[in-house]
Amino acid sequence: MKKQGLVLLVIGLVAASAIGLSACGSSGGKEGGTLTGTYASFPDYLDPQLSYLQEGWTAMYDTYLPLLTYKRVNGPEGSKVVPGLAESLPKIGNGGKTYTLTLRKGLKYSDGTPVKASDFASTMERLFKINSPGSFYYESIVGAEEFAKTKKGGISGIKTDDKSGKIEIELTAPRGSFSNELAMLFVALLPAGTPAKNLTADPPPATGPYMISKVEKGRAWSYERNPYWAKDNGPEVSEVPAGHFNKVELRVVRNDATQVNEIERNKTMWMQTLVPSDQREAIVNKYEGTQFRVEHPLNVYMFWMNTEKAPFDDPKVRQAVNYAVDTDALERIYAGSMAATHQILPQGMPGYEALDLYPHDMAKAKELLAEANPSDRDITVWTNNENPNDEAAAYYQDVLDKLGLNAKLKTINADNYYTIIGNEKTPDLDTGWLAYFADYPNPNSFFQPLLSGESIAPTGNTNFPRIDVPELNEKIAKLSEEPLGPEQESEYAELDRSFMELAPMVPYGTNTTSTFVNDEINLDGVVYNPAFGHSLATFELK
Amino acid sequence: MRVASQPNAEEAARGAAAGPWRLAWRRLRRNRVALAFGGLFVLIVLFVLAAPIWADSVAHTGPNATHTLQKLEVGGEKREVVSPSGKPIGPQWFEADGRFFLGADGRLGRDEMVRLMYGGRTSLLVGFSAALLTTAIATLLGLLAGYYRGWTDTVIARALDVVWAFPVILLSIALGLVLAVGGLELGPLELSGSSIWIPILIIGAVYVPYMARPIRGEVLSLREKEFVEAAEAQGASALRVMFGELLPNLASTIIVFFTLGVANAMLLESMLSFLGVGVQAPNTSWGTMIYGGFQLIASAPLLTVLPGTMLLLTVLSINVFGDGLRDALDPRSKLRLEIHAGANEPEGTAV
Repeated sequence: MKKQGLVLLVIGLVAASAIGLSACGSSGGKEGGTLTGTYASFPDYLDPQLSYLQEGWTAMYDTYLPLLTYKRVNGPEGSKVVPGLAESLPKIGNGGKTYTLTLRKGLKYSDGTPVKASDFASTMERLFKINSPGSFYYESIVGAEEFAKTKKGGISGIKTDDKSGKIEIELTAPRGSFSNELAMLFVALLPAGTPAKNLTADPPPATGPYMISKVEKGRAWSYERNPYWAKDNGPEVSEVPAGHFNKVELRVVRNDATQVNEIERNKTMWMQTLVPSDQREAIVNKYEGTQFRVEHPLNVYMFWMNTEKAPFDDPKVRQAVNYAVDTDALERIYAGSMAATHQILPQGMPGYEALDLYPHDMAKAKELLAEANPSDRDITVWTNNENPNDEAAAYYQDVLDKLGLNAKLKTINADNYYTIIGNEKTPDLDTGWLAYFADYPNPNSFFQPLLSGESIAPTGNTNFPRIDVPELNEKIAKLSEEPLGPEQESEYAELDRSFMELAPMVPYGTNTTSTFVNDEINLDGVVYNPAFGHSLATFELK
Repeated sequence: MRVASQPNAEEAARGAAAGPWRLAWRRLRRNRVALAFGGLFVLIVLFVLAAPIWADSVAHTGPNATHTLQKLEVGGEKREVVSPSGKPIGPQWFEADGRFFLGADGRLGRDEMVRLMYGGRTSLLVGFSAALLTTAIATLLGLLAGYYRGWTDTVIARALDVVWAFPVILLSIALGLVLAVGGLELGPLELSGSSIWIPILIIGAVYVPYMARPIRGEVLSLREKEFVEAAEAQGASALRVMFGELLPNLASTIIVFFTLGVANAMLLESMLSFLGVGVQAPNTSWGTMIYGGFQLIASAPLLTVLPGTMLLLTVLSINVFGDGLRDALDPRSKLRLEIHAGANEPEGTAV
């Protein structure tokens, strides 16, 4: 009986340890030590409300947490919004115009200050005070536009109660993507009174598992564990892992080939940068599956065609061009980093259903063009001068020539490319190259700016094909008000098909990125979010 | 050294009979190095002029035709022009009957040899046209400023100073960026942003002060000579004096400046094309080829080395030949240089 009791005790202890370990999110790898990594350039900002590039978002993904966040897993599940500092997903009422959330209890910033519901209001105010590049996402909050102008008096559409932790947000109109917007770093909670200025040199206190502890601007920065994570925040925010390393040290190494070399020599554990194209094949052959993995961010590369001007005002001409472009050739031009696609939504985006209405067929393309017989065949192909985008456009120009059009290439400096092609006064805006990156995994972020007639503007235009189809505009508007669910996803898939039938553009691929780690890191454990990039808290030693 | 700098008695005696151009030719013939580089330049010109023949009869492709997914049959074996990883095929020499003789240019799979030949035509066209433009404008301004002096000189000299104040490359990049977007509309002259005449105009314009100022200086000196006074005394008009009397005396200076101007213009074109504001794709020049090759420098260094070498050889041949031409046309300029170099020698011969 005594022996039986001892066995039960041992089993009980083992079971308890197992449960405890799984709650900590450990997969059995070593804990502690320092994760080292390299970037090709210093992040634009190390201030969550100012950064608008993926380098910055990756750097702060596990340090600053918004009310909502994304599950730290790979695959489609990783695109789903989950509670962050909020207890649960928002309760949406008043016809989609009111979002109610409750802050988790007992949360603390890395300096020990308790996190309060009213911090959300002050964080939103700071966003407008510092003219954050992401502030336009939140202008639909009642009173936000006025606050953006005056910077005084608070935002009337945000009501908070520190005692209950309740946060109520009122919108001027329903906005289906608002949950995604609440999961952006722009609205990661910061303590009230955080100075409304760029804090890159001395980043504000964090709520995530790590905090930025040292910054050498332009060269390097490092992280330490948030001292309040393990006891206060971690047990509450179960969707975010605690991280396996005690420290993270990141530095800038401009040359991507040097970054590869450092990983191969085990001098660095991870490189944030895409591996150089001329080394890619060798790296894939040697390390794929063990140290290298292809990742799919939310982008689509395409050629737009101006549907308001001849010859592209004729759908047959646009369809002919879609048949003429060979996405396999473009995959090769991008040296394997491009994953061919022939539709508007990229793989990984909710609503994506594989589609190819125009498999490469030059004979059919010529037949369609002959049917259309456009009188104006002189067209200008616009592109920027970044390689290999300029080569993709040179290929496109050659295809258009082979098809029977008379195309000439116009190459513009990348810095002002979109300003120029977004200005309706720019002459000869016939067709051109475009890469579009979504800020969050919601299909509306593609359709609304790129294809809604409402987005056509004299300057700063984002609807480059200038397509304006009333019934499709209405559908986009209706879907934009609805939170994403299975029904909406299937409607977005239908929208994708409808637009591709009209062929206002030739989508040709998603430019992939990569995870490349040294042989000490467990590649399977590394999580890549299509919007934010790598989650540093998921890196672990084998 | 001093003997070489002084035309000898025999030459002087023959010079009395021969004209200055014949004398220059005799001097040039004696300069074997200059002649050798002149010959090299002629070979380069012939090479680029043969571009259409090579493209049509041997390579069977144009300079801008892409072959990304094409496979090349070499001795029964199929070779991809561009590998799935984006690496272009290397030189095939005559294994594929001259197709892809120097390989493909990059991921677009264009024939490198064809592009090298056509690129040379563009580079030389830009070099010669820009130098011609510079020479024409600089000569006109130099003549006007040097002959009229006074306020004409002041206005022209200050205008040149303004252009001179900007570093050549920065000014060219700025003009290139602006004109590449909107093109150029100047009265009846309308050029699209991708026109080859845009870099020609830019390069031609930015070098004007560098040639106009020395020409002006020379005109200021020449107009005090007796032959100008004599022409004016005979009632020759200002135009007649400038273009009938002064210009022929400037010929040797202008020719030398022109040859060196061609080399400088070619180099600047390459620089601008490398920076994306020169010759616009898909047109090719050696500059755009160096830029394109630079993207694959690790895996296909030949794509950078080939156009770079052609550019180096062309510029070197023009410079060495231009130097020889200067010595031949104006031996005193060499004398002046040598006297300056040997200023501390007591036996230095005075001019």
